[in-house]
Amino acid sequence: MHTALIEAAERLSQAQATGQPCKPVRELIARAQVEENAADPVALAYAVQQHNTRLAREQGRRQVGFKVGLTSRSVQQQLGVNQPDFGVLFADMAVGDGQPIAVDAVLQPKVEAEIALVLAHDLDHERHTLADLIRATAFALPAIEVVGSRIAKWDIRLEDTIADNASSGCFVLGSRPVTLEVLDLVRCGMKMTLRGEPVSVGAGAACLDNPLNAAVWLADTMASFGEPLRAGDILLTGALGPMVPAAAGDIFHAEIQGLGGVTAAFAKPQ
Amino acid sequence: MSINISTIATALDQAARHAEPLAQFSTHTPFSLAQAYEIQRVSMQRRYADGERSIGIKLGFTSRAKMQQMGVDSLIWGWLTDAMLEEDGGEVALSRYIHPRAEPEVCFLVGRAIDRPLTLLEAAEHIEAVAPAIEIIDSRYEAFKFSLEDVVADNCSSSGLVVGPWSRNLSGLDNAGVLMRLDGQLAQVGSTAAILGNPLRSVAEASKLVSEAGLSLPAGSLIMAGAATAAEALRPGVHVSVEIAGFGESAFTCR
Repeated sequence: MHTALIEAAERLSQAQATGQPCKPVRELIARAQVEENAADPVALAYAVQQHNTRLAREQGRRQVGFKVGLTSRSVQQQLGVNQPDFGVLFADMAVGDGQPIAVDAVLQPKVEAEIALVLAHDLDHERHTLADLIRATAFALPAIEVVGSRIAKWDIRLEDTIADNASSGCFVLGSRPVTLEVLDLVRCGMKMTLRGEPVSVGAGAACLDNPLNAAVWLADTMASFGEPLRAGDILLTGALGPMVPAAAGDIFHAEIQGLGGVTAAFAKPQ
Repeated sequence: MSINISTIATALDQAARHAEPLAQFSTHTPFSLAQAYEIQRVSMQRRYADGERSIGIKLGFTSRAKMQQMGVDSLIWGWLTDAMLEEDGGEVALSRYIHPRAEPEVCFLVGRAIDRPLTLLEAAEHIEAVAPAIEIIDSRYEAFKFSLEDVVADNCSSSGLVVGPWSRNLSGLDNAGVLMRLDGQLAQVGSTAAILGNPLRSVAEASKLVSEAGLSLPAGSLIMAGAATAAEALRPGVHVSVEIAGFGESAFTCR
């Protein structure tokens, strides 16, 4: 691996360890691209992410699934991209429903409400269909993803966020499993409130027209990375409404039509 | 500085009739919100004198985001008339509009006259049915640029509405997915929760606003509860549809 990519990975992991956001890593990725005469900066950005994922696994962190990011048209337009990205979820990123989230656990936190799918079967084909995903899904749960950026002021381009594990922070799952035959993944309304005020609203279709489209993309992508999705994996499929900055003491409640609710509670300042 | 309510009301009425935009008034002739509602009233009187009939009211600024964007903390309201009704599933001639935009909405049918301020609990009892709807807003001001007072004077940009099928059951209305498509392509995605957290709150708010104005809404009136997402500009030939999860669809084609 090019030294610039290792430097990028270290810069990001340092930011997490010290709680001090860092400079973007896109220049490092661009340098590696030029010096390696590589065609695709996105592949190099994923190499940075995978470097840190490997280290995390070596430290004994348990991988429990993936998040799909950049699934809304407006966010894709903002970043000038036309496809989603993914990040890895670890067990230590899961926070209990309504349990306090330490303010310093996630740098520059923002919240978004999503549909989580939990898999009953492996998805190890090269290409997957919607039917494959429906058959492989054990159940859906409402989720709040707390995204964060190791990069100062969220000054990110596509390569930065991919290298930074798709800006993942932590996540909260609701606890009533709902199977897909009783859920309208496209038309379900989403309301996320803060002190009763709707701060983010949307519907299932905001995620790539259908959250299952994001899941199909992820299944194909992970297969192409040689790490197919496995039974038990949690898939955070992507935001159903705009993301909202979170501050200490904020308690967000997300309600998804047909799925129920989930609460992300940020700890009060000491 | 004194303003001439009748002059502004006439100018706005003419602009609406001839689909010709005006410069906003408040920049050179400031007026109060109360005066704005008076202009709105006088302007609507001209239409009623010509045979138009009131069919209900619409609310605006029903989302927190919109209130913040406009720097206000209250709702606004305007009148709907029979001349504004467009047929669900029909064609809408854009020639009578200046720069029309479509917004997905929820429309209520008043079952019992609303003649006093209602609580949220009472509001449901006064509603006969609810429908997915599309409001066609069309500011009479150039480039859709206006102050709070300007837009109120302009009857809150009311111009057209399309109302879909009625449902008598209101359950699930507080957080129903809203999908607006242009030519079949998803253009806006949201939830009815964007309307004051629950569109039924718009009925309670409407009852207060109407009562404060010393008026009432008879049975059979329509209440357009407010936009569930941002608006989309219309152009000839485009097919517009709005689906509200569990409540069906409303649609029209621009001509």
